[in-house]
Amino acid sequence: MIKHLAAAALLLTTACLAIGPAAAADPGITDTEILIGDVEPLTGPPALLGVAASIGHKIAIAEANAAGGINGRKIKYVLEDDGYVTARTIQGVKKVIDVDKVFAMIGISGSGQSIAVMPVLEKSGIPTVIDVAPVKFLWEPPRKNVFVVGQSYEEGIIHLVNFLADKNPGKKWGLITQDDDYGITVRDGFDSVVKAKKLNVVYSGNYKKGQQDFSSDMLQLKDSGTEVFLAGGIIAENIAMMKELEKLSIKPVTGIFWPGRIEPVLKLMGPAGDGIYAVDYVEPFAGAAGKAFLEKAKPLVSEAELKGINRYTMTGYAAAKVLISAIERCGKQPTWACTIAELEKTKNVETGVMAPISFGPGVRFSNQKLQIMQADTATLSFKPVD
Amino acid sequence: MQYLVQLLISGLAIGAIYGLIAMGFAVIYKSTGLVNFAQGEMTMITAYIAWTISTTVSGNVFVVAMGAILAAVLLGLVIERLVMRPMLGEPVFATVMVTIGLAVILRSAINFIWDAYPHGLDIGMGRGIVHLGSIGVRTGQLAVIAALLLLLAAIWAFFRYSKVGVAMRAVAADDRTALLMGISATKVHALAWAASSVIAGIGGVFFALSYDLSPAMFQLGLKAFPATILGGLDAVLGSGLGGLLIGITENLAGGYLGSGMKEVAGFAMIIVVLMVRPFGIFGERDIERV
Repeated sequence: MIKHLAAAALLLTTACLAIGPAAAADPGITDTEILIGDVEPLTGPPALLGVAASIGHKIAIAEANAAGGINGRKIKYVLEDDGYVTARTIQGVKKVIDVDKVFAMIGISGSGQSIAVMPVLEKSGIPTVIDVAPVKFLWEPPRKNVFVVGQSYEEGIIHLVNFLADKNPGKKWGLITQDDDYGITVRDGFDSVVKAKKLNVVYSGNYKKGQQDFSSDMLQLKDSGTEVFLAGGIIAENIAMMKELEKLSIKPVTGIFWPGRIEPVLKLMGPAGDGIYAVDYVEPFAGAAGKAFLEKAKPLVSEAELKGINRYTMTGYAAAKVLISAIERCGKQPTWACTIAELEKTKNVETGVMAPISFGPGVRFSNQKLQIMQADTATLSFKPVD
Repeated sequence: MQYLVQLLISGLAIGAIYGLIAMGFAVIYKSTGLVNFAQGEMTMITAYIAWTISTTVSGNVFVVAMGAILAAVLLGLVIERLVMRPMLGEPVFATVMVTIGLAVILRSAINFIWDAYPHGLDIGMGRGIVHLGSIGVRTGQLAVIAALLLLLAAIWAFFRYSKVGVAMRAVAADDRTALLMGISATKVHALAWAASSVIAGIGGVFFALSYDLSPAMFQLGLKAFPATILGGLDAVLGSGLGGLLIGITENLAGGYLGSGMKEVAGFAMIIVVLMVRPFGIFGERDIERV
């Protein structure tokens, strides 16, 4: 009898060991659900970006759930607020991976935050698609489990400055940047075109993060005779700069970068913002693709969330769509290894909000196509010009 | 010359805002001996309330002004009653830490109650540009300079001639003796918080008129704090003037030394002044260090 019981126990153990890895290989999956985690700045000034990106994730998830989920499993979204504080980003990512036990990660706060959290993500091996702040460190060198949707800040600035330089030959240039990593990136991109095109830079300033009064900076800009101006602020700073220029009765040809390419910015700039140029890799809401996206979003999010939509909603949507599609291709029993392999095989995935997304063997960056847009304050929109 | 005058006018305008917030710091310090590190956040909340009134109730300037003042009074009283009064008798360090905690809560409240977008406070005035000769100034900037000067005069008269003002000075000088003379220290404290909230709130509303609202506005408190130290932590009128000095210094530094120096200039100035007069330009000598 004891022999039979021992044999049965042995058999049962062997069976459990045999099926164990398949059933409990990776966390975040039950018979009915798949968990996807995210950490974003939902409070603090950059909440404008984090909230919008999370709405994009929610739209893609709601869309997939409405279509039956991923091979029958509904997607559950676990969102943590880091307040744009790096220590809290690390804490948040550890929490969603170790406590909530999500299957995959998406979004991941700002550039400094995602850089800081990279060792945690790499060590965990969890499939991750980053979309909020595409900085080179995230894909150079490529990490096995981390994919980035977007375009680099340097490339964006280079594209914008090249466009403005070609359109305004022989003009005097001015630049102002923030005194942080973001500002350094903007300045590096700008400097590379200055050297290549021998631009005549007559004003170069930088400001402390959080500065709100730009009266002396813009007075210097005016005094320098700047004709083409790269406003290297993010959101509120660019508004303050343009309004200051309006007060000083000058209107140089002005370019801004994509973090500030959002419609409420134009409303606040008023006539001062009319005609400013911006560079981006997502579609403007004024175009057919943008309008179609808003129509798609309407039934899937709350009224308050609908108001919080901006360009970051599109980047979030596209990244979530790519991730969901990769998990889906893994069939009934998705694993981390399969999801990562399928992400790598991503080829020309259409999201409707930016150019098709592709990765490849050793390629973890989608390298999105850029376009230049111009502000039209009458319609409070940005319209493509190239 | 025109360059210098433009810098001075812009400096006076932003300095007047710093001055108003700095006066808020000083009113609380003078009455309670406490530095309120949530002053910038209280300024921001009042400005957001003014914006909400303008967009939901009425954009009429008087309605917005009265609503914002009432809201600021209420905010000050609620904070004093619910947060600060229970801390009476506790070490100063603990009480100061409570104001830091309060600052974080109020800062987060902006995103919970409102949103992270910048907003313009449009009440039909303050945004227009007037030209003084060839120098452009927003009407809101001129108005805030006038408001600061008016408030300086009003507060001087209040502390000098009104019963309540004298009672506040008595509590600040020696609260135990004031108690023996029948003055309620708790009422004086509550009044100080309400007054501080209103004065700083006026600064916030004027800032929103000239520069817009955003969740980063709380940083005005950090900019106004050097003005208070410069003018004297216990000198309400001195703090107002300290704000003007900081604003002008910042703008001149930004205009002549380079844009990177702008934010540093105010702090560099207080280091120099404090080395000579540790109690500030208009402060009293016996400041207790916390």
